[in-house]
Amino acid sequence: MTDDVILPKGRSVAVPTWSSSLNVLLRADSTTQVRTSLSLVLTFALPLILLVATGLGKNSAVLGGPAFRISLALTVGLVSIGTVGYSLAIARDRDTGVFQRLRVTPAPTWTIMVSRWIVQLGAVLVMAIVVLVVAAVFVGITLPPQNYLFTVLVALLGSAVFLSIGQAIVGLIASADTLNAAGRLLYVPLIGLSLFGDSDRLGTTVELVSRWSPGGCLETLLSAAMGATAWSGQSWGALFASFGYTVVFAVIGIRWFQWGAR
Amino acid sequence: MTSEAPPVTGLALQVKDLRVSYGPKRAVDGVSLDINEGEIFGLLGPNGAGKTSTLSAIEGLLKPISGSILIRQVDARAHPELAKALIGVQLQSTSFQSELKISEIVKLYAGLYGVPLTKPEIFDSLTEIHLRDEASRRFSQLSGGQQKRLSLLIATVHDPPLVLLDEPTSGLDPQARRQLWDRIERFRKEERSILLTTHSMEEAQAVCDRVAIMDHGKILTVGTPAALIAAHRDDPQVRQAAHGEVTLEDVFIALTGRELRD
Repeated sequence: MTDDVILPKGRSVAVPTWSSSLNVLLRADSTTQVRTSLSLVLTFALPLILLVATGLGKNSAVLGGPAFRISLALTVGLVSIGTVGYSLAIARDRDTGVFQRLRVTPAPTWTIMVSRWIVQLGAVLVMAIVVLVVAAVFVGITLPPQNYLFTVLVALLGSAVFLSIGQAIVGLIASADTLNAAGRLLYVPLIGLSLFGDSDRLGTTVELVSRWSPGGCLETLLSAAMGATAWSGQSWGALFASFGYTVVFAVIGIRWFQWGAR
Repeated sequence: MTSEAPPVTGLALQVKDLRVSYGPKRAVDGVSLDINEGEIFGLLGPNGAGKTSTLSAIEGLLKPISGSILIRQVDARAHPELAKALIGVQLQSTSFQSELKISEIVKLYAGLYGVPLTKPEIFDSLTEIHLRDEASRRFSQLSGGQQKRLSLLIATVHDPPLVLLDEPTSGLDPQARRQLWDRIERFRKEERSILLTTHSMEEAQAVCDRVAIMDHGKILTVGTPAALIAAHRDDPQVRQAAHGEVTLEDVFIALTGRELRD
């Protein structure tokens, strides 16, 4: 505690430190995350269903190799968490006044949002580990040990990209209902673009756009992290592009974000 | 109760020449207020008069374009976190994290004010407001009166010397309203200062030591309810508004007009 103010009648008011505020917020936000059924579906069910489903049927090989199946599951999970789960939760809390109630406490305002980001990154970390474990134990897809670490790190970078996109959406769109619709509309092209980065079946222009889209860059990085392709100039390009996307969308999301319903 | 203001022992809140704008619209236009220690002060005005904007600026939710706000001599604009620790706030419409239980909400907000509560302490405080049996329910599952009681508990969980209540009894039935007045009376006995907004002249007369009537962002008059009635008793507009004995509502109507506000 810092800045104690002694008041008459034996009252004493103290300003909690930012770390204690963040700690309290993290506990509450983690509980909320675990109890929200939509976030559990988006974080775990959807990636795992994809991981298993892409291995079913005679023509499953057409969809890609084992690395592609894992990267697709992770990408869909990351896009879902960032553009649908995160942005919708933020918009809902803004509409109902949860943020305004938090903002009248002495907790520094930045801790309110940072706590949400940390919880989302934690969810992504758990999701990535669960997908990799399920892939190894139940689907029989294994990677060299160091590639597991690289894959998890890339998943965290990918979550930063899609959380910043979610932040930009929630910064630019005021109402939760509109945002819900926009998030779902954006969801399909983001996933679709990530699928065609390595294929020119829809033409070279689509391939180029797809390769350098946020999802395409993530696919490139995941592919290299899992050892399916060698680390190359394109991998470096995807890495820098991902950092660029994160910064640009985060700036947009923070610059235009409103704490209260407009 | 309403005829005399308490003796001045110090200022709990001092607002000087406060101005708040929403784009080109001036919501608060040069408001100045002094609230004494242990005083219950009512801010009255029709819809859109600037009451909530004034409170929001004091709470740190809105950034004023000019003016000063001193909370127990702490400059709220220079030291927002310390100022927020000195006030308890009940917003006009409050919502809390929908996935948290009532007991968890109390723990969260107590933590944000630097008051670590144990489980028995949380249950004791819930028992005090007759919500012990609702400890495991969600905020949205409570009735309007229960929600207001919880909001008030959270507003005072850190024993603040100044409490800001924005329309605390709106939407409550007479029983719940009386119960809330009793709690406000208890705050008076605990020598807290209270700034509340209300549309109810009955409430203002029943609980406030002094009131200010504001409209179009300006304070029109300030005084004890009895003093305001006495001062305006012979105004032709007040006589026209009165049906029999002049009331605070007649003074209010005479000063702010009869036209409907949105």
